[in-house]
Amino acid sequence: MRKLLPAILILCLFSTAAQAGLTVVGKGDNMRFDPSAFPPAMKSAYEIMKVRCIKCHTLERTVVAITTGIAPISGQPFDRKATKAYGVKMLRKPDSNMNRQEIKVTVDLMNYLLDEAAR
Amino acid sequence: MQNAVVAVLALLIAVALPLADAQNAYAIPAFSRQCRTECSTCHTLFPELNEYGQAFLKNGYVYANKQAGEKAGEAATPSGKASPGQMQAGSKEKIKGLLLSGIPKWIPLSASVNQSLSYNDHAPDGDHWHFTTRDVVLQAGGSFLDQVGFYATGNIYVHDSSSSQNGPNRLDELFLVWRRILGAPVNIKFGKFEPKLSLWKKSDKVIANSFATSAFKVGNSPFSLQSTQDALEANAVVADRLFMAAGMVDQHGEIGKDAYGHLSYRIGGADFLGNEPEVDLEKESVWDYLSMTLAVYGYKGFNKDPFGSGNGNNFYRIGGDLDILYKRARLRFSCVSGEDSNSGFIFPKTERNPLVVATEAEYYFGSPAKVAGLFRYEYQNDGTGVVRRYIPAIAYIPLQNINLALSYMHEDQPQSINRQLLLDVTLSF
Repeated sequence: MRKLLPAILILCLFSTAAQAGLTVVGKGDNMRFDPSAFPPAMKSAYEIMKVRCIKCHTLERTVVAITTGIAPISGQPFDRKATKAYGVKMLRKPDSNMNRQEIKVTVDLMNYLLDEAAR
Repeated sequence: MQNAVVAVLALLIAVALPLADAQNAYAIPAFSRQCRTECSTCHTLFPELNEYGQAFLKNGYVYANKQAGEKAGEAATPSGKASPGQMQAGSKEKIKGLLLSGIPKWIPLSASVNQSLSYNDHAPDGDHWHFTTRDVVLQAGGSFLDQVGFYATGNIYVHDSSSSQNGPNRLDELFLVWRRILGAPVNIKFGKFEPKLSLWKKSDKVIANSFATSAFKVGNSPFSLQSTQDALEANAVVADRLFMAAGMVDQHGEIGKDAYGHLSYRIGGADFLGNEPEVDLEKESVWDYLSMTLAVYGYKGFNKDPFGSGNGNNFYRIGGDLDILYKRARLRFSCVSGEDSNSGFIFPKTERNPLVVATEAEYYFGSPAKVAGLFRYEYQNDGTGVVRRYIPAIAYIPLQNINLALSYMHEDQPQSINRQLLLDVTLSF
């Protein structure tokens, strides 16, 4: 127990408060979701997100948008309509290098995360 | 001399190579700082604007769908319970700046430095090679409470004053945009700026060479499409995909002598407010990636005779632009014609009818894009002779705020053929 308590305290230091169904770890540029509780399909989608999306921006932007419901740059509501729009934006972005299937699973993931954040 | 050039080239390459693998590079000029976003939000390759950069520009340097005074943190959340920790990382930072009487949180200044290495086989001074710090430009831009946008550029240093219409140490642009005036979707722009004619601002390109259609001048007339002028302009985005602008220019205290208008329409792609098109993610379609923007414009003006003889120049320009984007390929086409009654300011008057055409094909490489290859063809007939230019070029953007462009220009003039090689480095910070 003496060893476990400091470990729990350290873990608390590196975790930030999150929505009921989501665990967010790290701060600032290192902020990201903890996918350990995601369903298998969402876990594999998260693998795509964390590789593709960070080519242009950190995951902090995605985490803030999903957990607050506000896109941090545009200040617009970040809802299911917005996740689809961002998916289309990335599909059309000349250098995103994301194919249709990757876009689709990433949009599904963001919708799942929004639902979890709202719980 | 050639050894020195090789040494300089090697030095530039040595400086650039370590930047090639840089990851997560975030540029920091004024808009990037104020909006807390990376340069690539608005520039696929700096400084060329993408659809969102164009929307940002058209909407007075504010994200288009944002209403005046709207604060990010006050928008409704789906759960209604954003956690304080995450709010700190995102919108709370914005709110603090916005609440302080509209003054931007960051001093909205940035600077650009442009240096070049050039070879010109018909150099007027006989020196074929030049290594030059061409200019240092101070820029300011942003918005006050999203109600009034502002933008300014001033030359801190210009190498060759004869190449700059405004000369060194002069203000190039300074204007305000009163957004959505009285609740209407109309912006009023006032100050010194490029009247909205062509689809593209003079800086909207990845190489240093300006488009002939924007840069050409006729005779001794100082007018070109990209000249900045003291003007008043009203513009509006109508039905999301139509952009209209009209304005008048102050020419030597004679307001109303010069007037212009612009209409542009986009088919496919994001609209002028930055909204994405409806796309079915289940079905593949060519139209999902295709975006076409068409523009027509006109300018009617008058140049006073700079020599004081009273023989002024009445002129007009009519032009059209087409911009096509498909995945990584971009095609631009531009054409302008007109008439000058006396661009030589002489007697008897000599009328000229210029016709200039430019077309450019560009392709982006990399993810994120770091390289663009392009080829431009220009045809310029200013009424005295025809000049044709063939310009292959490659631009390399190692970081989002550094542009290295290598271009070759083969210029076929009536009396001679000029060849110019230009390695251009632009840094913005």
